[in-house]
Amino acid sequence: MRSFATLLWLEYRRSRTWAAALLGSLFFWWWGLHQVRVVEVGEQLGIRAGLLAMASIVAIIILAIMIGRIRGETRGGQFQVLLLSPPSGYSHLLARFTFAMAVAFIYAVCIGALAAWTGSQAGVIFAARSLVDMMLRLPIYVLGILVAPILAWTILLMVFSGAYRVSSLNWVPGTVMVLATPFVLRHLMEWTIRAFYTLPGWRFLNQFALALFHDANTDIEMYGEIPDVQFLFTASDQYIGFPQEMFWIFLLAAAVMLALAGRIWQEVEA
Amino acid sequence: MTQAFLIFIRVVAVGLFLYWAYRLWRGTHSWTSRLLGLGFSALLIWKIASGNWM
Repeated sequence: MRSFATLLWLEYRRSRTWAAALLGSLFFWWWGLHQVRVVEVGEQLGIRAGLLAMASIVAIIILAIMIGRIRGETRGGQFQVLLLSPPSGYSHLLARFTFAMAVAFIYAVCIGALAAWTGSQAGVIFAARSLVDMMLRLPIYVLGILVAPILAWTILLMVFSGAYRVSSLNWVPGTVMVLATPFVLRHLMEWTIRAFYTLPGWRFLNQFALALFHDANTDIEMYGEIPDVQFLFTASDQYIGFPQEMFWIFLLAAAVMLALAGRIWQEVEA
Repeated sequence: MTQAFLIFIRVVAVGLFLYWAYRLWRGTHSWTSRLLGLGFSALLIWKIASGNWM
């Protein structure tokens, strides 16, 4: 446990500039949201939502680069000074993943707050529960289905490529993994969609969604523009929430990728 | 002509991935990496050979 805490501290020391820059960029996005001065409310909301989506994508890319900088720290000797015994590959990668996820969590909560502010500027009145959904539950959901698998995939890619460092073959495992991933993802998505709503859905933004979808005009507009949103509703237009199976399955996939990466690290560095 | 060319491309791609699978097997002493590399290569070969991309 102490070695994990030390590894986490080392991870903080190693990546704090990246984390600070990423969290600091939120001020830039906040400034950007303020610069949208289109008079039409719908258009204003659309542009701001686009900016927030862009902020999220940029953050995921930066986090992936931050977490993917696998270097020979163990061979550098710093752990021998700080720890009595060499840390296992699992705890090493878990510390790296935990630090990146902690940064991602803070960032996602801030993006949720900015999204709530954007909504309120467009005249949406959020109940207290909806605000908690926007700033806590939805960010956690997105972290589970998107950020955690992407970061775990990045770690696995770097460790897997690193296993071929000696034979100077790094690009072959990287290429094979990148080419095969869309197929694996496609099958995983197919199985996940089949399992949808086996468990009760998570009814995020319940009041907001009900109010929005009971408005006939919005209903037609939303269905017209985002057909996929229909899966959140039953045939009788009852809101059933977000499928929690996707969250658990993708979190499990992230755990499996981390376990594989940890195992490879053990085998290569041992 | 087009179909013959596509078959040629598929045969070349399968050959390439078989070669990569061999290199991935021989290029490390980590068994997990070997099996992972073999799994990814097998998936790509299966997709190319079957022609079923979806």
